[in-house]
Amino acid sequence: MKSVKNHILFILPLLAILLGIESFMVFGRVTASFGEDLRQGYTILVVTDQNTTPETLRSVHPRISRVTPLEKETIVEQIARGIPNTTTDEIIQALPQFYTLHLDRYLDTDEIETIRTLLRQLPGVRRVETFGRAHNANYNLYTLIKVSLWIFVGFMVLTSLFLVLKQMEIWQLEHRERMQVMEILGASAMLRSGVLFRIALIDALIAAMVTIGLFAFLRYVWAPKSGITLLVNKADLLFRWQDVAVLGGTVLAIVLISVIVVVRSAGETRQG
Amino acid sequence: MPNVITANRLTLAYDNGEKEIIRNASFKIKKGDFVFITGPSGSGKSTLLKSFYGQLVPKSGDLMVGGLDMSTISYKKLQKLRTHLGIIFQDYKLINEWTVAKNVILPLIIAGYNLDMQQTQAQRLLKHVKLEDKADMYPRQLSGGEQQRVGVARALSKTPFLILADEPTGNLDEYSSNVIWDLMENAREQLDATVVVVTHRIPTIFNTPYRHLILENGGLHEVR
Repeated sequence: MKSVKNHILFILPLLAILLGIESFMVFGRVTASFGEDLRQGYTILVVTDQNTTPETLRSVHPRISRVTPLEKETIVEQIARGIPNTTTDEIIQALPQFYTLHLDRYLDTDEIETIRTLLRQLPGVRRVETFGRAHNANYNLYTLIKVSLWIFVGFMVLTSLFLVLKQMEIWQLEHRERMQVMEILGASAMLRSGVLFRIALIDALIAAMVTIGLFAFLRYVWAPKSGITLLVNKADLLFRWQDVAVLGGTVLAIVLISVIVVVRSAGETRQG
Repeated sequence: MPNVITANRLTLAYDNGEKEIIRNASFKIKKGDFVFITGPSGSGKSTLLKSFYGQLVPKSGDLMVGGLDMSTISYKKLQKLRTHLGIIFQDYKLINEWTVAKNVILPLIIAGYNLDMQQTQAQRLLKHVKLEDKADMYPRQLSGGEQQRVGVARALSKTPFLILADEPTGNLDEYSSNVIWDLMENAREQLDATVVVVTHRIPTIFNTPYRHLILENGGLHEVR
């Protein structure tokens, strides 16, 4: 009973750390995907005179990835039905040039404003529309999600680390005498820590398997049936097999550090 | 006979060398000797024994155990030396979570003996100390005398060249004490080992020829 309790006392904080890390990776992917969607959906509209070229606009800022001229003919066609062709040609000639500018990543409001100012300074640019209010709201939401995630995961990992430290104290009390006896009888550090390593590795394996199992279930079983478009289309955001390496590495590092600290603290100090 | 332990002007101290407990002691213990070290409480008997298994480093002077200089010995060599010693403690120092049999074969586990050898030795040793029917029990289920017999069996399990016993009968009644003394006499004879026992009182009935050193006022004197 005591042994089961001790296992649970170590498995739970490990589980919390692993869930925190996996959640961090999942939310990281989700926010990155959200950011990418926002980026793809975001454009700056520039109105220029006839002489401005797409290349000139593109050279204004390194974050501008693509400049697409809007076909004036299509616009005029839709608004000037029934008007004679000669008149339509005159309208087209009289209209300024419209461009949509795409960015290579999702920028904050200040950076957008910088681009806007630079564009406005170009000769021939009549108007720049950055859709600032909508962009600002989206960007703030994006930032809020990211910051909340950092705080949540940070708190979770910190709390769990304290629980791991508590468990290390329990181990010290439980194993100190055994390790000291073994040391006096000539056992190497490896042999003295063997029992503890076995216990810790079993707990680590259980915690890692539960975490992997949970997120694999979410990806392969729950997400496809969830009806949430984002998750149905992008279920792989919830779990990737590369995550196993990150989780395994983390849990192994925690186990190694914990056991080494306990073994070293229980080690004999030769007096004299 | 070669010397197993040699001390030359040996000084032992505690508290970072500030509290000297043994001063300038010189003595030799030969192979096959059975040595009792007695002295009043606090005279440094256990301290001296600790220096033999390397838990205390000499403050000054020379101390050689099994040909190794205990002042300069590396940790790795010390651990190797310890696997050839049989150490018996007053408080037994058994591992309570392990069975009696596993406690007995701890030195064999440390030495990396295979499982068959460990089991055979466990049976032989437990029979030797008359505890063969208690192999699967845990130390706390045994009496003090029985626990010390397990301690003796553990000390003998790897045929040590030197047996160090710190008050082995200190917590035992007369009957149990006599059993332990018998076992130690047999061990010296059968294993041809050197035995050093720190004790308050030398047993009244003791058949093996022995040496008696008294530790008093920081000095070690041979009285027999």
